[in-house]
Amino acid sequence: MELAKGGTPAGLIATATFQPLAVSELQALGFGGLPLIVIDHPLGGERPEGVLRRAHQAVAELAALLGLSR
Amino acid sequence: MTLHSEVLELPDSPEAVYQAFCERKWCDGLPIIPPTPERVEAMLRSVAGDPAESLGPLPPLWGEATLEKLAVNSVMAGCRPEYFPVVVSAVEAMLDPAFNLYGVQATTHPVAPLLLVHGPYARSIEMQSGAGCFGPGFQANATIGRAIRLILMNVGGGWPGRHDMATQGSPAKFSYAIAENEDRSPWAPLHVELGYPPDLSVVTVFGGEAPHNVNDHVSTSAPGILHTVSDTAATLGSNVKWYLSQSQLLLVLGPEHAATISSDGFSKDDVKAFVFEHARLPLGTLKLGGMWGIQDWPDWMMAVTDDRALLPIVASPQEILVVVAGGAGKHSAVVPNCTFSRAVHRPLTRLRA
Repeated sequence: MELAKGGTPAGLIATATFQPLAVSELQALGFGGLPLIVIDHPLGGERPEGVLRRAHQAVAELAALLGLSR
Repeated sequence: MTLHSEVLELPDSPEAVYQAFCERKWCDGLPIIPPTPERVEAMLRSVAGDPAESLGPLPPLWGEATLEKLAVNSVMAGCRPEYFPVVVSAVEAMLDPAFNLYGVQATTHPVAPLLLVHGPYARSIEMQSGAGCFGPGFQANATIGRAIRLILMNVGGGWPGRHDMATQGSPAKFSYAIAENEDRSPWAPLHVELGYPPDLSVVTVFGGEAPHNVNDHVSTSAPGILHTVSDTAATLGSNVKWYLSQSQLLLVLGPEHAATISSDGFSKDDVKAFVFEHARLPLGTLKLGGMWGIQDWPDWMMAVTDDRALLPIVASPQEILVVVAGGAGKHSAVVPNCTFSRAVHRPLTRLRA
């Protein structure tokens, strides 16, 4: 949020289970427009291949957020 | 006195009020006392300050913790007006950044703020420090703890499953408040140990798990009892030890255990030193699960390779807090903290003369 305030492209990555908390939190703090990248839950306790799959989920949205093409 | 809260017109029946508050998600599932303006004003008269004064925004939804909102929730919880200064000081303490209330509210861990009240005010409001103090039966304990929970839910927005993400929650989240049993303690109470005068009343907030029982019916010496305490404290499943930099342990010694320990000449510092030295797990056990691989250990611990090496669960003896509470019997309790929140202490400064 501090980065976004300074004009740096920024977003938040959350798992689907935590999406409602993240949305409420962003709205409460006046950052409702901040991009939210949602990945499958859970992340903790996942094997490396599961973490990699979630990273792939997020990377396309993240690249678009940063104005990069993949 | 001017109040600013929305006024709700409801049928004059306990069932209707209870149902209306449940439907609006304004209560913890238990019946509430209707927060009428008269009751809220009576609560507010027990502390110094304007009803509109805010102690700060409460996470995770950052609602303003005005004295009026705190009073409304305290009425709902069943608090008597004389309990309200404790509630206010506890909220002030929870808003200290060291307590990390956002983490405490939103985590998946079953943490609840434990309120410990020290000094003469706890006795004046008959806050239970003796038999069964963590359990039911005591209005001050039950309603002060409940007021804190209602405030965290209604002002902070910490609703289970939505903004309070605790995997299973905890019975301690209904109410978690006791007084220190200073009359039965062989040592100075915690607030005096911290440098406050004995006649000052102080509240401690500790982001802890529910109490872990320490049953020792056979030990007749300090080392015996403290070995049992240490073994109870050192478990693979507790957060304490993984995030070592903020790990804290609260030892709530039953009076009989405390007397046995003290009769061996142990001071509080001796208790802390002993438990620091013995509440340890072997590296080989730590590798089995828990949070192995994501710990924040200092370099010296990360460099240990001998699986038999016994590693500490807190960074120093000073991270162990010792109080005495409870009644007759050979039980004590260990309360591990959540490891992303530190104990905070606040004097009761808003008492009206």
